[in-house]
Amino acid sequence: MSIPLGHYLMLSGLLFAIGLGGALTRKNAIIVLIGIEIMFNAGILNLIAFWHYKEFAVLTAQMFAIFSISIAAAESAIGLALVIAVYRYYKSVDVDEMASLKG
Amino acid sequence: MDIAFWIISVITAVGALLAVTLRNLVHCVLSLILFFLGIAAHYFLLRADFIAAVQILIYIGAVVVLILFAIMLTRNVTGTEGPREILGGKWWSGSMTAALIAAILCWAVSVDKAAMVAPAGAQAKSSVLQIGKILIADWVVPFEVMGVLLTAALIGAVVIALEEVRRRR
Repeated sequence: MSIPLGHYLMLSGLLFAIGLGGALTRKNAIIVLIGIEIMFNAGILNLIAFWHYKEFAVLTAQMFAIFSISIAAAESAIGLALVIAVYRYYKSVDVDEMASLKG
Repeated sequence: MDIAFWIISVITAVGALLAVTLRNLVHCVLSLILFFLGIAAHYFLLRADFIAAVQILIYIGAVVVLILFAIMLTRNVTGTEGPREILGGKWWSGSMTAALIAAILCWAVSVDKAAMVAPAGAQAKSSVLQIGKILIADWVVPFEVMGVLLTAALIGAVVIALEEVRRRR
């Protein structure tokens, strides 16, 4: 394959920025979690791209990717449970309304 | 191979962009599935077959279903709000931050001349057998810890989501 490593890094940087933009600008807490998932995936894509181009004899990067994916799954389960709990309390998933701790 | 990279990259980026910009939450999740499929296709292109299978199983099989359940258990799926209602209070500073980070990352990659040269010859090769062997030999402690973490996360999620039922009793 004649794609340079830099293109993968740029793609994952772009995806990270898209996820960050979604997490920072949207009001719905579920979309914020979707943005965080997109950022996670951009990071893991980086890991696999570096594995492919630099260290493909060693499978450590794939182990890191597997563990990152598992942690992301646990994180999204907890995050969505928190969204449901917050919805029961505030009757809304709007992150702008969750301001009880604001000074 | 090159054309495959560009097609999959466009699909992935469009899926990610739609997933955070559409108004209807269910449409957002459908775009998110497109994004996850694009990432899995990238893993196939990079010869990481097992990671691609894991990506499809965990993300499209589990995380997307979780998000759909969370959407069903909360309200506001209709998507009739205007653009002002879906954006948070400081949306312009958030989008400026994201654009700045995209610019900085692309600049940082493009100044590295070595990263922009296409690689010669050597091809990555991974086998599921090899992954399985090192997962239960070198990586057995992290593997077991991950099992404990997932169990704890599962119990924690159930406890958090069931809070009101417990209080009512």
